Amino acid sequence: MQRPLRVIGRSELLPLPIRQKAAEELDFPVEFELIDGIEGLQRVVTRPESFDVYLQWHTVDLIWTARCIQAIDLARLKTGPEIMAAARSQSGVSKVIDTVFDKLFVQPDGTLARTPSDRLSMLPLVHGVDSFGYLAALRDGLAPNEAATWGWMLDPRWAGQVGLIGDPVLGIIEGALAVEASRSLSFEDIGNLSVEEVDEVIDTLIHKKKIGHFKGVWSQAEDAVRLIQRGGVVLQTIFSPAAAKLRGLGVPIVISTPAEGCRGWHSDLCISAATGGETLDAAYDFLNWCQDGWAGACFARQGYYATFPDRIRGHLHPDEWDYWYGGIRAARPLPDPEGRICVPTGHRREGGSHRERMSRARVWNTFMDEHTHVVRRWRDFMEA
Amino acid sequence: MNVQKAYYEIVRDVLALNIGEGTLPKGTRLYVAAVADRLSVSRSPVKRALELLSDEGVVTRDGARGYVVGQTVEDDTTRPNLHLLDLHLPGNETAALVAPSWEMIVQKVDQELMNAIPFGIYQISESGICDHFKVSRTVTREVLARLHDRGTIAKDRASHWIAGPLSARMLDDLHDIRQIVEPAALDRAAPALDLGMVAAMRQRAASALTAEETLTEDMLDRLETDLHVTCLSPLRNLRLAQVVRNAQLSFVVNRLFATYIARHDETAMLLEHRLVLDHLAIRDGTGAAMALRHHLDADHIRTRDRLKVLAVFGDPAIAPYLTRLV
Repeated sequence: MQRPLRVIGRSELLPLPIRQKAAEELDFPVEFELIDGIEGLQRVVTRPESFDVYLQWHTVDLIWTARCIQAIDLARLKTGPEIMAAARSQSGVSKVIDTVFDKLFVQPDGTLARTPSDRLSMLPLVHGVDSFGYLAALRDGLAPNEAATWGWMLDPRWAGQVGLIGDPVLGIIEGALAVEASRSLSFEDIGNLSVEEVDEVIDTLIHKKKIGHFKGVWSQAEDAVRLIQRGGVVLQTIFSPAAAKLRGLGVPIVISTPAEGCRGWHSDLCISAATGGETLDAAYDFLNWCQDGWAGACFARQGYYATFPDRIRGHLHPDEWDYWYGGIRAARPLPDPEGRICVPTGHRREGGSHRERMSRARVWNTFMDEHTHVVRRWRDFMEA
Repeated sequence: MNVQKAYYEIVRDVLALNIGEGTLPKGTRLYVAAVADRLSVSRSPVKRALELLSDEGVVTRDGARGYVVGQTVEDDTTRPNLHLLDLHLPGNETAALVAPSWEMIVQKVDQELMNAIPFGIYQISESGICDHFKVSRTVTREVLARLHDRGTIAKDRASHWIAGPLSARMLDDLHDIRQIVEPAALDRAAPALDLGMVAAMRQRAASALTAEETLTEDMLDRLETDLHVTCLSPLRNLRLAQVVRNAQLSFVVNRLFATYIARHDETAMLLEHRLVLDHLAIRDGTGAAMALRHHLDADHIRTRDRLKVLAVFGDPAIAPYLTRLV
């Protein structure tokens, strides 16, 4: 009996239908483990022997530095030729998720770069853009043409009703976007703030927290849902699955399209440095299965985009394709990954089509160079 | 390095050892001032050490005329020139009996701080250092003053001694200095380097490259010391040597990385080290300096990346005289 393939990742990235379908279709046992939070990352860098496949999330440079993942052989991937073509064409998907390709190929000296090679650091799985969401009723008091801006996060009009994400990596980016918009500052590189800029952002957030601006901070999707549903929050950072869940519950949530752009993200499959033999073969089979189309279609129903949309088109109903990728009004009620209705007829995805939405990625989730300082100051904010 | 032992105890032990071995023969007259001068220490620990030895019956007090080795005082005891006696002293013979106690403590505290600051800001307790090392306030203040000189610690607004955090900016600033001074220092040291020693260092780097297993922390320490300390040891300009030493902070990050991360890959570092040593082996100081500059630049990028990985970890084990502030 073969040892099970151990796959770990955040709960949003391993929804139940994907776990069930993989177990059903693959001819070897697969064990999934959901790890949210920093402990998961600590485990990945210190104990690569404790997993085989990791769905990384904005940490590839870090886990590659720690060499807890191994290079992926492009020749063993079904999407290998497509990845190579995308990298060379400098258009299509490599433009959409530009930043992914910047760290994709393993160079002869062991560093990661854009220059194509036959070894990958990760297999890009899904991507998207996030911003804040708000209750539709919030617009009632506004001028019809008032555009959404990140400044709303710190706007006194919604004092005491704002929710924030608790993760420092994402939180500092959203905080910076909000501070920039509300205080007419501009940061040199909003994705890589200096020590002073981090201090500026955190000091502003601490001040706002002390005057009671924030209603709550969430770290798991369920908390985000709860804060809006009955926590008195009208405006907060939100991920696509949580928004879909709220809509399913009949809460009219609007995902903003802020004037300053959105926060882009991507999640990718990585293979543990400690995986070998038949487990390594199984890991490649799992990677190929994930790219095959069914999983991508499942992710689409929670609002995530696949690296190669054409592969999943056949697995989605044309109405679903039109809504999720085309940015067209839903012709009928549409289901989430678990089959529950999450999109009412006539709803149009905020921000438009795949290309339109991804073109608004202003900054990508990343560990900043001053990450230690960010984490330290974020803790000040959380404890303030 | 025993920093727990009090100064007078060290003096007592040294005297007892030499009396036991006969290098301080029976009947030798020991004046406090003369012993202090011979051992290059101050008088009070000598006085206290002699009192102890007198209580133990190893020496005998002779009124105002100091102490005499042995249990009896004979009339013909002379006062020998202690500098003519070939005494057994700990450590190397040329230096003082022991380095001043603050010096050892400075090293120790500095090391502890370096291991902590990649993770946060720490407050250093003066009384904590007194208790931990069993030293006086005077010694502790000396330790803190030295650490302040080195730039390791600073006073905050409330006048507490604090250290950290180690930011990417701090690494950048130090790299900037190091990249200018260390290659120049190596170029100056190169002509006086012992080639046999260089060959041994090169051998160490080369065998680490072919070794199957991951480099241990001790081995990593050894290789870093070879290139960044030993190769610079012939430097006559001690001020330059000091500047170089103070800029060598990346070393701390790399060592911590090796402590936390099981699969760290040091191939690039080893190749770079070997290249510098190749130049030194043929007394090509200029080439060595250029190769070293390349190594420092490459190492700086690795260090920055590694600092990010360390940020994932929470609280390191810290010394009892430190308190984490943030």
